[in-house]
Amino acid sequence: MDDVLTIAGREFSSRLITGTGKYETFELMRDAVVASGCEMVTVAVRRIDLDAGDEANILDFLPEDVLLLPNTAGCETAEEAVRVARLARAGGLPDWVKLEVIPDPRHLLPDPVETLRAAEILVEDGFTVLPYMLPDPVLARRLAEVGCATVMPLAAPIGTGRGLKLRDSIRIMVEEAEVPVVVDAGLGAPSHAAEAMELGADAVLVNTAIARADDPVTMARAFRLAVEAGRAGHLAGVMDEQATAQPSSPVGGLVTQP
Amino acid sequence: MSAAVTVNGREHELEPGETVERLLERLGLGARYALVERNGDPVERAAYESVELAPGDTLVVARPVAGG
Repeated sequence: MDDVLTIAGREFSSRLITGTGKYETFELMRDAVVASGCEMVTVAVRRIDLDAGDEANILDFLPEDVLLLPNTAGCETAEEAVRVARLARAGGLPDWVKLEVIPDPRHLLPDPVETLRAAEILVEDGFTVLPYMLPDPVLARRLAEVGCATVMPLAAPIGTGRGLKLRDSIRIMVEEAEVPVVVDAGLGAPSHAAEAMELGADAVLVNTAIARADDPVTMARAFRLAVEAGRAGHLAGVMDEQATAQPSSPVGGLVTQP
Repeated sequence: MSAAVTVNGREHELEPGETVERLLERLGLGARYALVERNGDPVERAAYESVELAPGDTLVVARPVAGG
């Protein structure tokens, strides 16, 4: 089945994007990325510790054909996010950016006004922008209008693993989407990813649920299968719920009838 | 005081005609993964070997790290 995900003209056969944070080792991260089958991974950008010497770099452990998606994690304003994105691009990283503007350290909820403002600047500057956002269909439309390549609503707060807590809003976003909807953050179990895909999400982004599993490589595979199952279920058409029971076997011709 | 630049908040002596690439080497950072900002403006990777630093420059040197 030819079912590709197209973001900004680039085709992906995998609908799972993974984050590279929180793994015990780079080797484990690499093995999980490979097992997940993902074709795009997020990385963060941080100042080098000048006292740390020549440390191993994450880029040495990532498969060559995986697209790097630098994020702006840690940025609290549009200006900070634009600064980080431009630094990453100038230094040779892709001109794709996972835009995160998060002023709230407790719940890690994104600032919609600053996110929209940063998105406008970055799109104008030639970036492919994938913004992290609260699942707000109106904001999604605004972000698409200024040229964002996707919208990335959170299912639940980052790192909580609570699943599709904001399901109803995400459903409206999916119904009205003008660009791919990537459910990002809060998915804790493969079943959560399958549920998001059944709902019609175009892709999901998972980090903590894989990296912090007892066995991250097996969990990466589990998410891969769940995303594929959920997507197939969505394409096949999930049945409507019924208010009452409907027998699956013929009601007539019973052996036990008088 | 002799010529110096600030790198990630710390002062470093500047050699005459020192480029971004040379400074990175001297700091033991290797240019391959370094992302460089000079006086608030990002430096294009292709220009690391040609951009000469000036006394008083403020540099931020970053790199990609694991993240979600």
